[in-house]
Parts: sequence; C-alpha cells; structure tokens
Amino acid sequence: MSTRVLTNFDLQVPKDIPEALEILDNYQDRITPVAGGSDMLVAWKLGVESGNAMSVTALPDLNYLTYDDNDGLRVGALATIDQLLNSDDVKNKYPALWKAAEIFATHQIKNTATLVGNCLRASPAGDASATAYALGATLTFVSKSGGERKVHIDDLFTGYAQTSRKPSELATELSIPAPGSGSRSAFTRVTRVNEDLAKLNVAAYLEMDGDTCTQARLVMGCVGPTLLRLPKCEALLKGSKVDDATLDAVANTVNDEITPIDDQRSTAEYRRSVAPVFLKRTILKALS
Amino acid sequence: MSHHTINLTVNGMPQTVTVEGNQTLLEVLRETIDQTDVKYGCGTGECGACTVLVEDNKPINACLTLAATMDGRSITTVAGLANGTELHPVQQAFVDDFAIQCGYCTPGMVMKSVALLSENPNPSEDEIRHYLEGNICRCTGYAKIVKAVQTASDNMVQYAGGDTA
Repeated sequence: MSTRVLTNFDLQVPKDIPEALEILDNYQDRITPVAGGSDMLVAWKLGVESGNAMSVTALPDLNYLTYDDNDGLRVGALATIDQLLNSDDVKNKYPALWKAAEIFATHQIKNTATLVGNCLRASPAGDASATAYALGATLTFVSKSGGERKVHIDDLFTGYAQTSRKPSELATELSIPAPGSGSRSAFTRVTRVNEDLAKLNVAAYLEMDGDTCTQARLVMGCVGPTLLRLPKCEALLKGSKVDDATLDAVANTVNDEITPIDDQRSTAEYRRSVAPVFLKRTILKALS
Repeated sequence: MSHHTINLTVNGMPQTVTVEGNQTLLEVLRETIDQTDVKYGCGTGECGACTVLVEDNKPINACLTLAATMDGRSITTVAGLANGTELHPVQQAFVDDFAIQCGYCTPGMVMKSVALLSENPNPSEDEIRHYLEGNICRCTGYAKIVKAVQTASDNMVQYAGGDTA
C-alpha cells in the first residue's frame, strides 16, 4: 500500500461506447468503470482491491451539460463538477446542485470529478449526489445485451458504496427534471474546513404554493449506510404551511429517520444533535 | 499488466511515452520525462504539490490522474511558465514577496495561482484564499503567498511575454 505507486492492475481505455460495452460484457463484475478517478484512485492507493479498471475518459460526446424546459438538465457521464459550477442554468434553476458544486473538494478535483461518478460511488457522505437525490435525478445505463435502462435515483443506492447498476452496464447520463412550479432548493453541510468531507449534509427540494408546501424531497448524508431520504419529514411538510410549528415538527422527527454512527469525522451523538438544526436551516434557506 | 503508448505535450514539447495502466501522470512526468519540478506530496489529492495545468489553464492533481488517460493532452508544469529568462509574473511575485520557505509546495502554489489569475484576473483576498484551498504549505507561509498572488494580479496587466496564462 502506497500513496505514490498504485498496485498493479490492468487498465482498459475504450475509444467508443460499443467497445466499452463489449469490455463490460466480458469482464462483468471483475472490472470497475472509472471517470475522473479522484476518489477511486485514493481508495486503490489506500488498499481497496483495484482488480481491473476501465477508464471512460476517452469516450466521445459524453461531456455535455444541457438544459431546456422540456427535458430539464442533462448531464453527460463525463461532465465535470467544474462544468456544473460554470453553468448559469444550474446556478439559476438548481441552486442546491450549484452550491454542492461550489463547495465540492478543491478546484483540482472539480476539474476531473464527474457528477455521474459521484452518484455511482454511492458514498453516504456525497455532496453532489445528495442534491441529485433531492432533485429527483434519473440515471441512464446502457449495456451490450440490455440496451438502455433508466433508473430513478430513488432506486439507485442499495447499500454502502453499492448501487443497482448491473455489472455489464455503462452509465451515460444523469438527468434532472425541469424545476416544478414554485420550486426551491438548498444544500448545506457541516465540516471543519471547506475541503473536508462532510460530517453531515442536507439537500432540500420544495415546491410551494404561497406559504403551503405541495412537494418535498429531503435528503440527509453521513447518517446511514447510504444517503437517506426523510419520508416522515417530507410528509409533515407536504400540504402544510411552512411555519414555525411545521418546522419544529420536522426537526423533532428527523432523528426517527437516521442511523448515524461514530466514525473518523464525527460522532453519532453530535450528528443527532445537529441533524434537526441543519435540516431546519436548509429548509429555511430554500425558502429564502 | 497493460501497456499504453500515449502522446503528450509537456511545456510545449511533444512526448511519446509508453506507460503502464497503473501509472499516474505524476509518476510519468517525474520518472519517465524527468519533469521533477512537479512534486509528490500526499499522493491523495489533498496537498496540491503535484498541481499541473491542462488545456485552458485548468489545474489538476497529477497524483490522481492515470497517465494512460492523458493521450493527446497538453500539460504545463511550473518549469514551462518562464519565457526564456523572464519569469512569469506569478513566479516573479513569489520571489519578490518572499512567498517561499522550504519551497516544496511552491510549484503547485504557483500553478494554482496562474490558474486563478487566468480565470479571475482581479481576485479579492477571500477569493484567493478560497481558490488556494487544495494547496497546503507545510511552513504555513500563507500570508506571503496571498500577498504574492495580489502582487502578480497587479503586475499581470503589464505582462506581455510567455505563451501561458
């Protein structure tokens, strides 16, 4: 184990999607697709078994980032966090996602890390993935034998660092619906200094009709084996006026929905203490 | 073990190298191309000592980049900044403001500062400090580094040399 030299592994660098699908079909779960690699390379250097790797960086035409009112936001598998940060559409229509891009790691990492890769790493502490989850993203996968398959992000995270991507599948796109009427979103997180991984993070998407919340998707990170939706809190918001009483009820409920642990960045006790505060703050930030 | 023959342009010079699948760009720059101005610090993308610029002055961590994925790319290291004997304004400002103690972080700090000024020619102190997150100075000489970036920003207006930034 070394942070200087990676252990031996075979790397494939396919030049087009059919070649990539052929490789995945042959190797199945014996190969790891990797885009920016900013997280995978660290994991491999720190001792996670690398097996074989397939870089998708040479695949053409996957670095797009487009928005229109019908299709919403479409983010190609090679679009970087830096591209999100430099998009006025992301900044104006998906403020939670833009904020997650702004605080994401360092500028060096923003230039290589991808939103799709961040989601597929399925970290319970993911920032960009937490906002994609709150915003109701959909992943597009393609495979040699199965053609195209769309997976809603509600069905993506199956366990710690585990997703429902099939071994033969290549992720090509993440899309986010156009914001609904009266919609707001916000993202907050707790860290010691900005470039740290979060001790806790919160992403909120709300649709409002005047003072009344008509739709809510709340996601909290670092409090379970995966990023967690907060369905009981969402139910308290939906159909209610978002006033102090509602916010207090939401804050008093969040600890029923999370299962934080002690780890290297924080304690379960601290996370349980700040979860209600940061959930409330994030909702208020979305509404402001 | 997989072998990959790739074409790189490093500081304007075309290079054809054969790399192994598990080799990082940092390893290839330092050990194959002898570009030892790029430093190995943490190896995990946290210290920024290995920062190099790719097209459009985008900074990346060479330690977290697989060399085989860089075919056809153009890379600038700190050794590629000067125009002959004329230092790049960021390099000159680091000298003039004594923004160097042990010097190990300096190649990465200079490259990151060049990237910042290329994106934002007149950054505020807060913007400089925020942008330099991801580059760590073990000697903790941050005040002078920030000052040097401000000096370089002031001087960049007059700069007309070099083919970078």
